Amino acid sequence: MNNEERRTEDRTRTVILSASPSPHIRHEDTTRSIMTDVIIALLPALVWGVICFGLRALAVVLLSVASSVAFEFAYQKIRKRRVTVGDFSAAVCGLLFGLTLPAAVPYFVPIVGAFLAIVVFKNLLGEIEKNFLNPALAARVVLSIFPGVMTTYTEPFRRLGIFASGEKIADTLSSATPLASLAEGNLPDIAWVDLITGKCGGAIGEVSSVLLIIGGLYLLIRRVITWHIPVSFIGSVLLFTALFPQNDDVVAFVFSEVFAGGLILAAFFMATDYATSPVTNVGRLVFGALCGILTVLIRYFIGIPEGVALAVLIMNLPVCYIDRFTRPRTFGSPKRSLI
Amino acid sequence: MTYTFRGGLHIAEHKDTRNSPIEKMTPPAEIRIPLSRHIGDHCKSVVKVGDRVLRGQVIGEACGELGCPIHSSVSGIVKSIDRLAGEEAECVVIENDGEYELSPDIKPCEKKLTETTTQEIVEVIRNAGISGMGGASFPAWTKIQSAVGKAERLIVNCAESEPYVTANHRLMLERPVEIINGTKIILKALGLRSADIAVEDNKLDAVEKLAEKIGESKMIRIRVMRAKYPQGDERQLVYALTGKEVPKGKLPIDVGCIVFNAETCAAIYRAFAYGMPLIERIVTVSGDCVATPKNVLAPIGATYKSLIDYCGGLKKEPRKIIDGGPMMGTAQKDVNAPITKNTFSVLVLSEDTCASDDENYSCIRCGRCVSVCPMRLLPNYIVKFAEKGRYEDAEKYDTERCVECGLCAYSCPGRVPLMRFIREAKSAIFQRRSENRENSAEDVDVTL
Repeated sequence: MNNEERRTEDRTRTVILSASPSPHIRHEDTTRSIMTDVIIALLPALVWGVICFGLRALAVVLLSVASSVAFEFAYQKIRKRRVTVGDFSAAVCGLLFGLTLPAAVPYFVPIVGAFLAIVVFKNLLGEIEKNFLNPALAARVVLSIFPGVMTTYTEPFRRLGIFASGEKIADTLSSATPLASLAEGNLPDIAWVDLITGKCGGAIGEVSSVLLIIGGLYLLIRRVITWHIPVSFIGSVLLFTALFPQNDDVVAFVFSEVFAGGLILAAFFMATDYATSPVTNVGRLVFGALCGILTVLIRYFIGIPEGVALAVLIMNLPVCYIDRFTRPRTFGSPKRSLI
Repeated sequence: MTYTFRGGLHIAEHKDTRNSPIEKMTPPAEIRIPLSRHIGDHCKSVVKVGDRVLRGQVIGEACGELGCPIHSSVSGIVKSIDRLAGEEAECVVIENDGEYELSPDIKPCEKKLTETTTQEIVEVIRNAGISGMGGASFPAWTKIQSAVGKAERLIVNCAESEPYVTANHRLMLERPVEIINGTKIILKALGLRSADIAVEDNKLDAVEKLAEKIGESKMIRIRVMRAKYPQGDERQLVYALTGKEVPKGKLPIDVGCIVFNAETCAAIYRAFAYGMPLIERIVTVSGDCVATPKNVLAPIGATYKSLIDYCGGLKKEPRKIIDGGPMMGTAQKDVNAPITKNTFSVLVLSEDTCASDDENYSCIRCGRCVSVCPMRLLPNYIVKFAEKGRYEDAEKYDTERCVECGLCAYSCPGRVPLMRFIREAKSAIFQRRSENRENSAEDVDVTL
């Protein structure tokens, strides 16, 4: 027996070979790497929010992230579940919720919101039926029922310090966000460049459409999301506001409907949430298109400016059925007739 | 234009041996030939312990409709005929005398190709013991015989979409004429005029080589396929080239197509031109544990260990020894088990490279399994049903159509063992179906 033979013999004798079934290799992506990509994609918008609204914006978002992670950890410990905060999904949920808040919200809001999102919507309701409601959006909608909590939008570049006093905050409050003026039937009094770059009042993470789109493109390139939901969602808003404009200046009106408010944030980051969106590509197109139509309907007829959050939440409910009805025809099965 | 199919995924190739020429290994001192591993009945041993057998001599006779004889790959004395642990069929162990004395039965086909009949070609292929060398190991003669008159299109499968494996790639580069001539023999047997050779676009050097040898001939066309797993699956290959989907429970021949692996074609050529039975084949020996990964021309019946030793042994602690590709191959427990006619690669993977069986999995509904599934199933829903034992629902979602390509489990970021659940669901569905059949048979008895 030569040396090489002995080497194989020795190695194979000492180790136990695994005979587990195929496939024997795996793609390197994990839940954690995907969530990390989402966080990276949201960072530019967050940085802009801090530049625009001051360090208080950062404090609000960090508080939301930290309490989300803490609530998830505590919940899993108490229910004696496997602790999964390491996959960063709770952190992403907290980050998304924080970004939908105005910088001037009282500090209890991100904590209460994180509790609602993680404990109530993600875990308690999630135990009954997975993929029920997008937790960050659900928390936001619940909190916006209380008047004055979610509408404390401040003027851009009048930055708030972490410990800004109530008077200082009251002083910087913006008269109307672009979307609020749209809801009143007026075009926002703002240059289009300022609108898409985010030099306007609004929630911390939603104002800079340009940076959000860059983040969304990053997710597309990294194959974290597919194009179907963002394109059909934004596309249907664009189409329906163009078909039924509520202002004579159609171009300006459509432009403001698309870029003012949370549409871009929602289309790339909220509606694409895995747990609460369809898994088939056709289903994603249907889902996105219906989200868009609902957004326009809510903005037009219910009169609340932020139709996006409610629209996505309503569309979360039938996700399972959308999957079922858009199930692809199995390879080699007879073609279905369209009935 | 490159042809492709829907779904699938380009997997990190790891084709480290793409530039390693085929090396003929010295057969080991002992050869172990199982008397069946392929589809159909086991072979019947025609040698006794103590007999001297010659290289290329029949040692196992074909039985049944899907039978295929098996030959000795060395000359030497039959040491024992016994059952290996866990194997159903007998295994002939031959002590290699190092003479490689060729059996006198081996002689080229006497007639010219143009003068041979289909039946004569089928006989040559049958006697040479050629079965599919790309994985399924279906006897080539049966495939041809049952396709006569039905086949409209011959496709030679050189896709080789499994990572690591380069055996077909090297064959195309080094012996393109064998593939081309083998293809012409099959065309003659089937009475067809032209064939397609399908090669993935990550092997354009091989495309060039083949094109050069094909020359002006209109008989054989090269089709460049997009490099994407599982392009080598014959259903996806047929679909990519013809747009036809092989229906449930049917074979490519049912849509007029017949698919042969490249090396099977080469083996058919050698059987016709030299009378050489299938006693050796090209095996890619690779994986992060192998000291020098190589393409080895190995005798059938050489042990995995002898192949690994030929490639310099191991440089890392192995976790898995795989017969076949990393996506669909079978992990082996015994390094002293032999390679068979359908072993196109032997991979030795370490703990770091192997997918670990993580019990802490959870589906995040990212939909990757859905987008990669070449059969267009919803693997995440099948798993959801299988987890709860709802096999009737799993059946409604066409679970039994799964071809077990493994892409869903490969691409799952939540580490869900999708293939495990799908296999469980499949066997539960098949079991329930056979039980139902038995029950209905009893009903008939009662009414009589």
